[in-house]
Amino acid sequence: MNRLYEGMFLLDNQVVREDWKSAKTLVAETLQKHGAKLRTLRRWEERKLAYPIAGRKRATYFLGYFDIEVDGLPALRRELDLSEKVLRHLILSCEALPETENELAAAELAEGFTVPAPPPDDAPEPKREEERPSFEDTIEVPDLNDLEDVR
Amino acid sequence: MSSFTERRPKGTILSKDKNCKQTVPNYKDTEFLKKFLSAHGQIVSRKRSGYCAQCQKQLKASIKHARHIGLLPFVG
Repeated sequence: MNRLYEGMFLLDNQVVREDWKSAKTLVAETLQKHGAKLRTLRRWEERKLAYPIAGRKRATYFLGYFDIEVDGLPALRRELDLSEKVLRHLILSCEALPETENELAAAELAEGFTVPAPPPDDAPEPKREEERPSFEDTIEVPDLNDLEDVR
Repeated sequence: MSSFTERRPKGTILSKDKNCKQTVPNYKDTEFLKKFLSAHGQIVSRKRSGYCAQCQKQLKASIKHARHIGLLPFVG
Protein backbone atom coordinates (compact mmCIF):
# COMPACT_ATOMS: atom_id res chain seq x y z
CA MET A 1 0.00 0.00 0.00
CA ASN A 2 1.40 3.36 -1.05
CA ARG A 3 1.36 6.13 1.50
CA LEU A 4 2.55 9.71 1.56
CA TYR A 5 5.47 10.40 3.89
CA GLU A 6 7.35 13.48 4.96
CA GLY A 7 11.09 13.06 5.37
CA MET A 8 13.58 15.39 7.00
CA PHE A 9 17.21 14.57 6.29
CA LEU A 10 20.12 16.11 8.12
CA LEU A 11 23.19 16.22 5.89
CA ASP A 12 26.78 16.87 6.72
CA ASN A 13 27.83 20.39 5.65
CA GLN A 14 30.99 18.94 4.14
CA VAL A 15 28.87 17.21 1.48
CA VAL A 16 26.80 20.35 0.88
CA ARG A 17 29.90 22.53 0.61
CA GLU A 18 31.21 20.46 -2.32
CA ASP A 19 27.95 20.82 -4.26
CA TRP A 20 24.50 21.25 -2.73
CA LYS A 21 22.81 19.77 -5.81
CA SER A 22 24.80 16.57 -5.53
CA ALA A 23 23.79 16.39 -1.86
CA LYS A 24 20.19 16.71 -2.96
CA THR A 25 20.55 13.95 -5.55
CA LEU A 26 22.18 11.75 -2.92
CA VAL A 27 18.96 11.88 -0.89
CA ALA A 28 16.76 11.55 -3.99
CA GLU A 29 18.65 8.52 -5.28
CA THR A 30 18.48 6.80 -1.89
CA LEU A 31 14.72 7.30 -1.81
CA GLN A 32 14.20 6.17 -5.40
CA LYS A 33 16.37 3.10 -4.84
CA HIS A 34 13.78 1.82 -2.38
CA GLY A 35 10.85 2.49 -4.68
CA ALA A 36 9.83 5.92 -3.41
CA LYS A 37 8.05 8.24 -5.80
CA LEU A 38 9.28 11.73 -5.06
CA ARG A 39 6.78 14.58 -5.01
CA THR A 40 9.06 17.35 -3.75
CA LEU A 41 12.53 17.61 -2.31
CA ARG A 42 14.16 20.85 -1.30
CA ARG A 43 16.83 22.34 0.90
CA TRP A 44 14.99 23.43 4.03
CA GLU A 45 17.61 25.26 6.07
CA GLU A 46 21.24 25.40 7.12
CA ARG A 47 21.48 26.02 10.83
CA LYS A 48 23.30 25.56 14.07
CA LEU A 49 22.34 22.34 15.79
CA ALA A 50 20.85 22.35 19.28
CA TYR A 51 23.52 19.82 20.30
CA PRO A 52 26.51 18.40 18.42
CA ILE A 53 25.70 15.41 16.20
CA ALA A 54 28.64 13.27 15.06
CA GLY A 55 30.94 16.08 16.14
CA ARG A 56 29.21 18.61 13.87
CA LYS A 57 27.89 21.89 15.24
CA ARG A 58 26.09 22.93 12.04
CA ALA A 59 24.30 20.94 9.34
CA THR A 60 21.90 21.30 6.41
CA TYR A 61 18.32 20.08 6.45
CA PHE A 62 16.57 18.67 3.37
CA LEU A 63 12.79 18.27 3.39
CA GLY A 64 11.05 15.84 1.05
CA TYR A 65 7.58 14.45 0.43
CA PHE A 66 7.31 11.05 -1.22
CA ASP A 67 5.02 8.07 -1.78
CA ILE A 68 6.45 4.71 -0.81
CA GLU A 69 5.24 1.19 -0.21
CA VAL A 70 4.96 0.52 3.51
CA ASP A 71 7.07 -2.66 3.06
CA GLY A 72 9.95 -0.66 1.58
CA LEU A 73 10.25 1.69 4.53
CA PRO A 74 12.36 -0.43 6.95
CA ALA A 75 15.03 -1.00 4.28
CA LEU A 76 15.11 2.72 3.51
CA ARG A 77 15.45 3.59 7.20
CA ARG A 78 18.26 1.08 7.57
CA GLU A 79 20.21 2.50 4.65
CA LEU A 80 19.83 6.03 6.01
CA ASP A 81 20.97 4.83 9.43
CA LEU A 82 24.14 3.35 7.93
CA SER A 83 24.93 6.35 5.72
CA GLU A 84 27.76 8.53 6.99
CA LYS A 85 26.68 11.54 4.94
CA VAL A 86 23.15 11.57 6.35
CA LEU A 87 23.64 12.44 10.02
CA ARG A 88 20.00 12.00 11.07
CA HIS A 89 16.64 11.40 9.41
CA LEU A 90 13.00 11.63 10.43
CA ILE A 91 10.28 10.00 8.33
CA LEU A 92 6.67 10.61 9.33
CA SER A 93 3.41 9.73 7.63
CA CYS A 94 1.61 12.71 6.18
CA GLU A 95 -2.04 13.21 5.23
CA ALA A 96 -1.58 15.66 2.34
CA LEU A 97 1.14 17.64 0.64
CA PRO A 98 1.30 21.20 2.08
CA GLU A 99 0.12 23.84 -0.39
CA THR A 100 3.25 25.95 -0.29
CA GLU A 101 5.60 23.01 -0.79
CA ASN A 102 5.25 22.79 -4.59
CA GLU A 103 5.98 26.51 -4.99
CA LEU A 104 9.04 26.39 -2.74
CA ALA A 105 10.42 23.33 -4.51
CA ALA A 106 9.84 24.95 -7.92
CA ALA A 107 11.57 28.15 -6.78
CA GLU A 108 14.64 26.13 -5.92
CA LEU A 109 14.76 24.60 -9.41
CA ALA A 110 14.59 28.01 -11.10
CA GLU A 111 17.71 29.40 -12.74
CA GLY A 112 19.72 31.84 -10.70
CA PHE A 113 18.80 30.21 -7.40
CA THR A 114 21.90 30.15 -5.29
CA VAL A 115 22.61 28.65 -1.93
CA PRO A 116 24.95 30.45 0.45
CA ALA A 117 28.00 28.41 1.35
CA PRO A 118 27.84 26.94 4.85
CA PRO A 119 29.99 28.81 7.38
CA PRO A 120 33.38 27.24 8.08
CA ASP A 121 32.87 26.74 11.85
CA ASP A 122 31.18 23.35 11.54
CA ALA A 123 34.35 21.31 11.54
CA PRO A 124 34.30 18.39 13.97
CA GLU A 125 35.99 19.00 17.26
CA PRO A 126 39.42 17.35 17.44
CA LYS A 127 39.62 14.52 19.91
CA ARG A 128 41.56 15.48 22.97
CA GLU A 129 44.33 13.15 23.91
CA GLU A 130 44.57 13.06 27.64
CA GLU A 131 48.05 13.80 28.78
CA ARG A 132 48.98 10.99 31.07
CA PRO A 133 51.98 11.58 33.29
CA SER A 134 54.79 9.21 32.61
CA PHE A 135 55.23 6.25 34.92
CA GLU A 136 58.55 7.48 36.24
CA ASP A 137 57.10 10.89 37.21
CA THR A 138 54.29 9.49 39.33
CA ILE A 139 55.92 6.65 41.23
CA GLU A 140 59.20 6.96 42.93
CA VAL A 141 61.08 3.73 42.54
CA PRO A 142 63.14 3.10 45.64
CA ASP A 143 66.75 2.26 45.24
CA LEU A 144 67.22 -1.45 45.91
CA ASN A 145 70.64 -0.92 47.47
CA ASP A 146 69.09 1.29 50.15
CA LEU A 147 66.56 -1.41 51.03
CA GLU A 148 69.31 -3.92 51.65
CA ASP A 149 70.90 -1.52 54.11
CA VAL A 150 67.71 -1.34 56.14
CA ARG A 151 67.59 -5.11 56.49
CA MET B 1 -17.23 41.06 26.64
CA SER B 2 -15.40 37.85 27.31
CA SER B 3 -16.85 35.55 29.93
CA PHE B 4 -14.94 34.31 32.92
CA THR B 5 -14.28 30.87 31.36
CA GLU B 6 -12.67 32.37 28.23
CA ARG B 7 -10.03 34.21 30.21
CA ARG B 8 -6.51 32.90 30.14
CA PRO B 9 -5.75 31.49 33.59
CA LYS B 10 -2.78 33.02 35.32
CA GLY B 11 0.45 31.26 34.44
CA THR B 12 -0.66 29.35 31.32
CA ILE B 13 0.96 29.81 27.92
CA LEU B 14 -2.28 29.36 25.96
CA SER B 15 -5.88 30.16 26.88
CA LYS B 16 -7.31 27.20 28.77
CA ASP B 17 -10.42 26.00 27.02
CA LYS B 18 -12.58 23.07 27.97
CA ASN B 19 -13.19 22.26 24.29
CA CYS B 20 -9.57 22.56 23.22
CA LYS B 21 -9.30 23.80 19.64
CA GLN B 22 -5.70 24.89 19.76
CA THR B 23 -3.50 23.91 16.86
CA VAL B 24 -0.47 21.91 17.88
CA PRO B 25 2.65 23.13 16.10
CA ASN B 26 4.66 20.95 13.78
CA TYR B 27 8.18 19.86 14.80
CA LYS B 28 9.60 22.36 12.28
CA ASP B 29 8.05 25.33 14.10
CA THR B 30 10.82 25.48 16.69
CA GLU B 31 10.24 29.07 17.79
CA PHE B 32 6.70 28.21 18.92
CA LEU B 33 7.73 24.90 20.48
CA LYS B 34 10.38 26.66 22.57
CA LYS B 35 7.57 28.35 24.51
CA PHE B 36 6.62 24.95 25.90
CA LEU B 37 10.06 24.17 27.25
CA SER B 38 11.33 25.12 30.67
CA ALA B 39 14.68 26.82 31.23
CA HIS B 40 16.27 23.37 31.48
CA GLY B 41 14.62 22.12 28.27
CA GLN B 42 11.89 20.06 29.94
CA ILE B 43 8.39 19.88 28.46
CA VAL B 44 5.97 21.93 30.56
CA SER B 45 2.92 20.29 32.12
CA ARG B 46 -0.67 20.60 30.89
CA LYS B 47 -1.38 22.92 33.78
CA ARG B 48 1.24 25.30 32.43
CA SER B 49 0.72 24.84 28.67
CA GLY B 50 -3.08 25.08 28.68
CA TYR B 51 -3.51 22.20 26.19
CA CYS B 52 -6.06 19.39 26.56
CA ALA B 53 -4.73 15.85 27.11
CA GLN B 54 -4.88 14.91 23.42
CA CYS B 55 -3.11 18.07 22.25
CA GLN B 56 -0.49 17.74 25.00
CA LYS B 57 0.36 14.30 23.60
CA GLN B 58 0.75 15.78 20.13
CA LEU B 59 2.90 18.57 21.56
CA LYS B 60 5.10 15.99 23.30
CA ALA B 61 5.54 14.08 20.04
CA SER B 62 6.41 17.27 18.12
CA ILE B 63 9.03 18.28 20.70
CA LYS B 64 10.55 14.81 20.73
CA HIS B 65 10.74 14.75 16.92
CA ALA B 66 12.43 18.17 16.97
CA ARG B 67 14.91 16.93 19.58
CA HIS B 68 15.78 13.84 17.52
CA ILE B 69 16.57 15.87 14.42
CA GLY B 70 18.67 18.40 16.39
CA LEU B 71 16.30 21.37 16.30
CA LEU B 72 15.68 21.48 20.05
CA PRO B 73 17.94 20.55 22.96
CA PHE B 74 17.45 17.59 25.24
CA VAL B 75 17.01 18.11 28.96
CA GLY B 76 20.17 19.15 30.67
